[in-house]
Amino acid sequence: MAEEITIKVGFGDQFRELTVKLQDGDIAPWQPGEPLDVVGKSKPRLDAVAKVTGTAKYAHDQQPAGLIHGRILRSPHGNADIRSIDLAKARAMPGVRAALTIPQVFEDSSARYAGAEVAAIAADTEVQADAALRAIVVDYDVKEHCVTIDASMADDAPQVGRGDQKNVMRVSPRSRRRRRGGGGDNAEAEKQIQEQMARKEKEVDQILAASDSVVEGTFRTQVQTHAPLETHGAVCKWQDGRLMCWASTQATFGFRGEMTSNWGKVHAEECRVFSEYVGGGFGSKFSAGREGVIGALLSKEADAPVKMMLDRSGEQTSAGNRPDSLQKMRMGVNKDGSIQGLQIRSWGTPGTGTGGAGAHNDGIYNLGTIDKVEYGVRTNCGGAKAHRAPGWPQGSVALEQMMDMAASSIEGVDPIEFRKRNDDHPIRIAEYDIARDKIGWDTERVNDPASPLRTGVGIASNLWFSAGGGGSSALVRIARDGSVEVRNGAQDIGTGTRTVMGMVTAEEIGIPLEMVSTRIGDTNDPQGPMSGGSTTIGSLTPAARLAAHHAKKELLAVIADRKEWDVEDVDIRKGRVIRGDGSDAGLSFKEACALMDDDAIEVLKARPRRNYAGFSDTNAGVQAAEVEVNIETGVVMVKRVVAVADAGKLINPLTAESQVRGGVIQGVSFALHERRMMDRHKGKMLNDNLETYKILGSVDCPEIEVVLIDVYNGKSNTQVMGLGEPPIVATAAAVANAVANAIGTRVFEVPITPRRVLEALASSNKTPVSGHKKGARL
Amino acid sequence: MDKKADDQPDGVSRRLFLKGAGAAAAAVSVVQIPVTGSDVATDEPTILGPGPVSIELKINGEVKEVEAPPSTTLLDLLRDHHQLTGAKRVCDRGSCGACTVLLDGDTVDSCSMLAIDAVGREITTVEGIGTPSNLSDLQQAFVDKDALQCGFCTPGMVVSCTALLQHDPKPDRDQIRKAIAGNICRCGTYQNIIEAVEHASRKGGK
Repeated sequence: MAEEITIKVGFGDQFRELTVKLQDGDIAPWQPGEPLDVVGKSKPRLDAVAKVTGTAKYAHDQQPAGLIHGRILRSPHGNADIRSIDLAKARAMPGVRAALTIPQVFEDSSARYAGAEVAAIAADTEVQADAALRAIVVDYDVKEHCVTIDASMADDAPQVGRGDQKNVMRVSPRSRRRRRGGGGDNAEAEKQIQEQMARKEKEVDQILAASDSVVEGTFRTQVQTHAPLETHGAVCKWQDGRLMCWASTQATFGFRGEMTSNWGKVHAEECRVFSEYVGGGFGSKFSAGREGVIGALLSKEADAPVKMMLDRSGEQTSAGNRPDSLQKMRMGVNKDGSIQGLQIRSWGTPGTGTGGAGAHNDGIYNLGTIDKVEYGVRTNCGGAKAHRAPGWPQGSVALEQMMDMAASSIEGVDPIEFRKRNDDHPIRIAEYDIARDKIGWDTERVNDPASPLRTGVGIASNLWFSAGGGGSSALVRIARDGSVEVRNGAQDIGTGTRTVMGMVTAEEIGIPLEMVSTRIGDTNDPQGPMSGGSTTIGSLTPAARLAAHHAKKELLAVIADRKEWDVEDVDIRKGRVIRGDGSDAGLSFKEACALMDDDAIEVLKARPRRNYAGFSDTNAGVQAAEVEVNIETGVVMVKRVVAVADAGKLINPLTAESQVRGGVIQGVSFALHERRMMDRHKGKMLNDNLETYKILGSVDCPEIEVVLIDVYNGKSNTQVMGLGEPPIVATAAAVANAVANAIGTRVFEVPITPRRVLEALASSNKTPVSGHKKGARL
Repeated sequence: MDKKADDQPDGVSRRLFLKGAGAAAAAVSVVQIPVTGSDVATDEPTILGPGPVSIELKINGEVKEVEAPPSTTLLDLLRDHHQLTGAKRVCDRGSCGACTVLLDGDTVDSCSMLAIDAVGREITTVEGIGTPSNLSDLQQAFVDKDALQCGFCTPGMVVSCTALLQHDPKPDRDQIRKAIAGNICRCGTYQNIIEAVEHASRKGGK
């Protein structure tokens, strides 16, 4: 029976009551003021000791006996078809144990970018495998290529794809028939959508014309590779027809599915995936990928365990990236500070991939009437993959700069006040003022006229949707010896999932975290989520808490029975059995467990499928950046970032803060440094390594101040939301706005390189702030 | 980075060789230092390889000998022959610091030096700095300050920061930043690492 309860939801001093119907035997969320012993306290992550001592074994570190090494041959051409591949010589090379070709396994003879997989070898040593790769004879039909969206959008551009694939595809709005999977009269459906688009364009044109002020801008963001330090891949081993994979993955169960699926290429009857530690993913490791399939197949042929991890070049060229963007925007605002309408035309490239390349540039703020048309542009580059808040940082770079430009186009409106005027997110409204105060928004920043340094501040907002969902289970086991274990088969990619799963379990049972052991990253354990959409914690912890609740209930029944107490009169708190009046019952948790007849209590519970209505469906967040720009060199230093973040109820503030800092650091890196550089003539990635692909280092890392807001959102029994993605949304935009504030002119393209800063200064009519005497040179 | 062993007078230098696919395939190395402690150096260059040779190294205080081709990097020897997998292969060209180990107390990128060039030197890996039951003060500070996320850069960070504290027990924040300038962290733990080093330094630990 669904129990109806009244809970309090809200944050700070804004709470209200909400009536929810508990589903699927769920328990009530923790309430404000409820005393909690573990949840909400900062705890070092449970795997920290293994990681600081080098004893944590990643996929990369697995060395089963008889291990041999897989390597992948990649196309050197920007765009080619494979006519034939001759493996004979390679197979005869010393140490070679297995070989395959991509056309044979994946039925794909196209190699549409430099770095596309062509063939693979497994040999006793890496050196032997590399030597064998060089002995593979490939006959390519080399075609012309396009590696930038500009080249690909040109009228006479060579075709990137195959068949009737066009280089430029409209991805939004889509015609209704095509969205339903084709069939019917496509031409008629397309005609209808064209008419709708024309009507919308006209409508917004008129709205803008009637607005008090119209601002416009063209923004560009670059391709950013995920660059996890542990490359993609797995160590694969077959035993008695069963496949075992130690995988570097964000989806252990998804990886297993790809190995066993009828639609897959491996067709393992059984597969077990281990992923106890993962060296980063950031959205790029949802699929086993071609490397995963290749590893499994090479291992089968060689009848030996195969290590098939990508090398760094393969990782950078083919294992995923954040698409670039070209965003043209016009915004109309009235003098009262209200946004009337927004016109958006945007383009982005998924490379040869099929993933979305959209920029979420209309998702935050009340933007009035929106006319948005968006295109994906195929290029002969490695395919895009979901990348930490896919589409959001690039959309934010454009939208947030437009917000500042719009604010300054109407007299006397402060950028923060302008945002508040057009925002109704209950949490974010409170967060603006915290960010304003912490960054010193209203402090006058005086630049020394004799110095080339200019300081400035900028602000931008986050938005995310991550309360999680059904499909996850957890197993809690309380043994007679007093040991407690919580198990789930999902992975922890560095977010702290394992630790919060343990904390929730410890809290619910009433024991210290140290008494709980957590098992994750093994598909023989209960079903868990992929680490995507920042939903892992929101999906997993309610299952863990529910299982712990019922396991404890069974234990309390045993205690009550043995001690002849009323079961309502017994509880466990801080590792001690207590009575209803709070007094100690003279029994430790361990002693209580010893009262069991059975070896253990085991409870497996699934998370309720749906979320409750709750306080807010979304996370908010506001970030403010302070920068220092050298107007002689164009170098931008981000000095400080204030990140105000919320993620429902905070389980572990320590790791939550780390997540936010990490998002900010990747955001600063995106704003100033990272970009995939393509050689337009040869069609190759030029910086497929970690010295010329620039990732923010310690010396350039800003001081980051994180402010966490604890929100009782009521959406699940733990009320947690994920925090992987939200903190990266705003950072680059806040930096861009801060740069504009510092130098009085705007850089419309990230990364904000010294050259672009100097160009912006040179093309600006304004004299650089404080009129530095060498300014004329700029 | 300034503590790297590039400029050691006795020949351990990343400039000595360029590790590339071709060099690895040819696998003939010319060295002028004894390969094991028992060998006697002569004026004539010794030509080793391409097959396995005996390589005796002092790792974390213990002398260990294995057979490996002379083209084997120190990183691969540690990982594949001694099962010391704390040091990671990430960029494989000395630009990320994930493979950092100590050579006579100074940091080196073990992916970019040959194992035979480390003969006769004191090699310390992350496993030699502390163990799960006996963490160094710095490792404990890493745990307490959450100076790690995915953990893949962490062994290299721990080694670099250990070297820093050995050379300078009271570094300021800028010195700490510089000490890990050669170590890339993709998750973004730099600030926590700086706080961890400061914390360990205040405790007077290493």
